[in-house]
Amino acid sequence: MAAAAPGQLNLEESPSWGSRSVECFEKLEQIGEGTYGQVYMAKEKRTGEVVALKKIRMDNEKEGFPITAIREIKILKKLQHENVIKLKEIVTSPGREVDEQGKPDGNRYKGSIYMVFEYMDHDLTGLADRPGLRFTIPQIKCYMRQLLTGLHYCHVNQVLHRDIKGSNLLIDNEGNLKLADFGLARSFSGDHNANLTNRVITLWYRPPELLLGATKYGPAVDMWSVGCIFAELLNGKPILPGKNEPEQLNKIFELCGTPDEINWPGVSKIPWYNKFKPARPMKRRLREVFRHFDRHAMDLLDKMLMLDPSQRIAAREALDAEYFWTEPLPCDPKSLPKYESSHEFQTKKKRQQQRQNEEMAKRQKLQHPQQHSRLPPIQQQGQSQHWTGPNHHLNASHNPLSSGPNHHQYGKPHGGPGGPNRYPQSGNPSGGFYSDRGAQGGNYSSGGYPPQGRGPPYPGGAVGPSGPRGGAAGGYGVPPNYPQSNQYGGSGAGRGPNSSMPGNRNQQYGWQQ
Amino acid sequence: MAANFWTSSQCKQLLDPEEVDVVHQIDRERGITLEDFKLIKLHMSNYIAKLAQNVKVRQRVVASAITYMRRVYVRRPITEYDPRLVAPACLYLASKAEESTVQARLLVFYIKKLYSDDKYRYEIKDILEMEMKILEALNYYLVVFHPYRSLSQLLQDVGMTDATQLTWGIVNDTYKTDLILVHPPHLIALACIYIASVLKEKENTGWFEELRVDMNVVKNIAMEMLDFYDSHKMITDERVSAAMMKLNR
Repeated sequence: MAAAAPGQLNLEESPSWGSRSVECFEKLEQIGEGTYGQVYMAKEKRTGEVVALKKIRMDNEKEGFPITAIREIKILKKLQHENVIKLKEIVTSPGREVDEQGKPDGNRYKGSIYMVFEYMDHDLTGLADRPGLRFTIPQIKCYMRQLLTGLHYCHVNQVLHRDIKGSNLLIDNEGNLKLADFGLARSFSGDHNANLTNRVITLWYRPPELLLGATKYGPAVDMWSVGCIFAELLNGKPILPGKNEPEQLNKIFELCGTPDEINWPGVSKIPWYNKFKPARPMKRRLREVFRHFDRHAMDLLDKMLMLDPSQRIAAREALDAEYFWTEPLPCDPKSLPKYESSHEFQTKKKRQQQRQNEEMAKRQKLQHPQQHSRLPPIQQQGQSQHWTGPNHHLNASHNPLSSGPNHHQYGKPHGGPGGPNRYPQSGNPSGGFYSDRGAQGGNYSSGGYPPQGRGPPYPGGAVGPSGPRGGAAGGYGVPPNYPQSNQYGGSGAGRGPNSSMPGNRNQQYGWQQ
Repeated sequence: MAANFWTSSQCKQLLDPEEVDVVHQIDRERGITLEDFKLIKLHMSNYIAKLAQNVKVRQRVVASAITYMRRVYVRRPITEYDPRLVAPACLYLASKAEESTVQARLLVFYIKKLYSDDKYRYEIKDILEMEMKILEALNYYLVVFHPYRSLSQLLQDVGMTDATQLTWGIVNDTYKTDLILVHPPHLIALACIYIASVLKEKENTGWFEELRVDMNVVKNIAMEMLDFYDSHKMITDERVSAAMMKLNR
């Protein structure tokens, strides 16, 4: 390290060390919500390069740098693959206050930390939602193959993504697809016996074993999500849009049949199986419901949406499926059309805007018919705020806004821990496992976001910034009767020289594959 | 794939001993010699281990914490960031990075219990503040590869599972030096097995020769450890506190 020359004072930080300031970038616009903060499109001032900045909120953290962020950084620094988003660097905002002596000023760290990612033009959901856009079969195959390739890479490197869904699959204008948002990801190396939280993965993409309360699981959880996305791409809309956990399970059972010891050995030992065991058995109707899919697509989907995780196809096998090797073949990413930038966050915003404008126009027509055509959109917006007070119709105009394409990420507070009092500590009503749902409903309604939005409602904010994992911050949706939500409980198990012993207990989930 | 040691930043950033054994100008102005510098780091490694024993975390966490601390002082003067704060903050960060989170207040509690000396007294906010500085000093590289991983496999292969305890202990002791910053972990593991073989008078020359590793490096690491053991006998509490005194303004 460069020390100051003799006689000189070493006042300046060594340039080869430390993080750059976020001032090196110019924020252009917000493009999304990450697991614990906003995501911005930004331009590096010096080079003009466009990047994505993901903010890690630090205020309100009782336990310092959030462990979720530590996990994401560790994992992203470890994974280097063309189908995994690249973390370029980490920059800090100048909110930090340190006095001249370099001593802490007595307060907590006030600034923010940003992760700098390569910029991607689209996400899969945003792209699929473009009006009038239909993916071609070679295009779907191309995206699916990249998704599986990236996921296979994660799995061989012992990383579970745990939040695979369209808005986390980023696509650039070269047709490349990359896995992003590793805010819920977890490495499963060395922790074979660790209990993992089952409150992960956005509800619509959450596999049955997690819904049934399994806390030991493996890469198969991500493969279920892949199956849901695959079917969604072919089907044109989400296939399992449950409103809450029991309904989600029910939808799965209606489509994939009910689990029993024959089609899923060991299922009766999963914690909540008896709770959710359907009254009467149902047949698997997958092939019937999606009979319009081509045969190879159907065969692959069937293997992805296996109830029993140990029978579910792995990413590697899926890449070998006939589907990818029969005509029409997956296209070259570069041959794909280039689209104007679209992120789910933005398309949603645009649509809300549009809806709002239409609503305003309608109302104006009623109240001030003569003004309507003359008002440019921007003024209409200004007026809408102006009218907020007196106009009783306003509630009506709010509704489409909030119940519109409302993605879960809007609904959840960013990194905002509610303090310990948000835990529904108050005993364990006969309601059973989801007794926390009442509290969540409260969250939604107080935020003015009814749960019937486009996005999966987030019971428990399981994917929230502070879910059951951090333990440090959140409070959302930790079921009071869920002893294993704190996965660190298992940490002691691996102590000592034998910590690398493989855990046999996991074999039932086929981890070793 | 970068999820292994060879493509890791740790591998790319292995340092020469000359780079590690540099006392910063400002530290030198305070009269801190290379000897003092090493003593302080040794003392702090012991501090981390002692603290870890109390809060009950696995050896891996201790090893990572010590590695963080040693990395920090390759980059920052020891008089700039008080090691008595850096040490617990490194343990705090390592506990998160290794998925064995320890609450900051627990650390503070045990620090008070272990040391009555006011110079060790730091509060939760100090630890959290220092955590951020450490993260920056480490450039957010938190994954550390340790010799432990390859150890049990190698011991099995060489047929020395009976020496597991002994070898494990020697590996633990390597963290009292800067070896982890300088050498790849598997060579450190081999050097520890080498020492154990000598101590147990087990003839393993053939086995070592069959490995495709540079035995000179292995022997050098082993020599360094033996030197360390020799010099360790001379270290007295007085010498340590004399070195620690120089930190104070």
